[in-house]
Amino acid sequence: MSPITVDTLDPEAVQRTVEYYFDQGWTDGMPVVPATESRLADFLATTPRGPDEVITSGPQWGLSCTVSQAAINAIMAGCRPEYFPVILAGMEAMWGGERNISPLLVSTTGSAPMLVVNGPIREEIGLNSAGSLFGSGFRANSTIGRAIRLIILNVFQLRPHELDQATQASPAKYNVCFGENEEESPWEPLHVELGYQAGESTVTGFLARGTLHIENRHCQHPERLLMSIADAMSYGGAQYAPHGATVVVMGPEHAQLVAKQGWTKAQTRQFLWEHYGRTMGDLRRMGKGCFEELSSGQFWLADEPNGKLMEGTADLPDDHFWRFGRSVDDVLLLVAGANNAGVSAVIPPIGPVGGRRNMAAVQRTE
Amino acid sequence: MADGTIFEKRGIPAASITTDAFTASANAMARARGFPTYHYAMIPHPLSSLTPEQVRQRAREVLPEILGILGIEPLD
Repeated sequence: MSPITVDTLDPEAVQRTVEYYFDQGWTDGMPVVPATESRLADFLATTPRGPDEVITSGPQWGLSCTVSQAAINAIMAGCRPEYFPVILAGMEAMWGGERNISPLLVSTTGSAPMLVVNGPIREEIGLNSAGSLFGSGFRANSTIGRAIRLIILNVFQLRPHELDQATQASPAKYNVCFGENEEESPWEPLHVELGYQAGESTVTGFLARGTLHIENRHCQHPERLLMSIADAMSYGGAQYAPHGATVVVMGPEHAQLVAKQGWTKAQTRQFLWEHYGRTMGDLRRMGKGCFEELSSGQFWLADEPNGKLMEGTADLPDDHFWRFGRSVDDVLLLVAGANNAGVSAVIPPIGPVGGRRNMAAVQRTE
Repeated sequence: MADGTIFEKRGIPAASITTDAFTASANAMARARGFPTYHYAMIPHPLSSLTPEQVRQRAREVLPEILGILGIEPLD
């Protein structure tokens, strides 16, 4: 890379431009990169989609996002043009087709968009899938995730203290985008598991409540190790209401330990699903033992029975194990992080996470 | 809030209710729907942790305002 020269720049003008963006309220609280027409053209050239094509709409707010608007925010986030097809695929994965941008984005839960990238584009754009996975330090990871947030803030105007009603949110709401560590995973990568070719690149997108850290450095038994992960999946504070999906990101060391003792990815997911839940006694002790029906027909976790309970749940004994996942499909399993310690993570999501519906292929111009 | 503004714009009387914790969001939604002066009813927060009797009490307290928004004279 040639050295950057700054002798032709007027530092005062740069500062004024950055402040202008702050004054307009077009930031996430950090400085943004000014968007120019020439830079926009570079971004639009990376995708076969037209600049005025609508990617997703928010009918409840009367707003929609075009390819151009997404590109402008990607520039402001600090992206390089070659990242742009990943952003478009991420939006497609979360809100494409007949779906719209999720109203869960303004939920009191404080959900954060998360993108997981598979395939060769990870290496081509320098997307981190190894150490410090959820942390900072990698331009592709930081700015792709940030671009999604800026689109939500600037295009859909879902700003905190206004339409965004998050009670606390999480640091994940700044930016989260990471690659699966396919190279150090003992199993097939997520996109291959879902029917894509290994040489294709895909993005999986979902809304997350944050990340939970799991340490189990010394255990050599697959069942015991996986039980510690299942316990984190089933933490009492979660709002599964009364069923819900979850995401497990096993560190390579954990995944390899389990795989070396003969466990396939499918068997590992099956075990995690079977132990994903709590006893009714636990749920009752935590004020979450009543599965009460709402007027919408959905169910909600309540403390004392007030309304109509889910059929067959009122008299379940305290030692009855209540499964949070309806099927093994409610457990999305990934392998990512450095292969340097017995560390994994659980990402409690809000809304759907798995399957091809939440995955989109990266489309680039030839 | 969005539903209430849509009904009102179509000439169908509607009353939206929010708890006071959501005032900023309610106003932002009214602005987003192009109805910044939209009149809605407000009740004290919280709601989801109340007993059914406490919810009924909240409803009794806000009823006159809802009737006012709908343009209906209270019966008594």
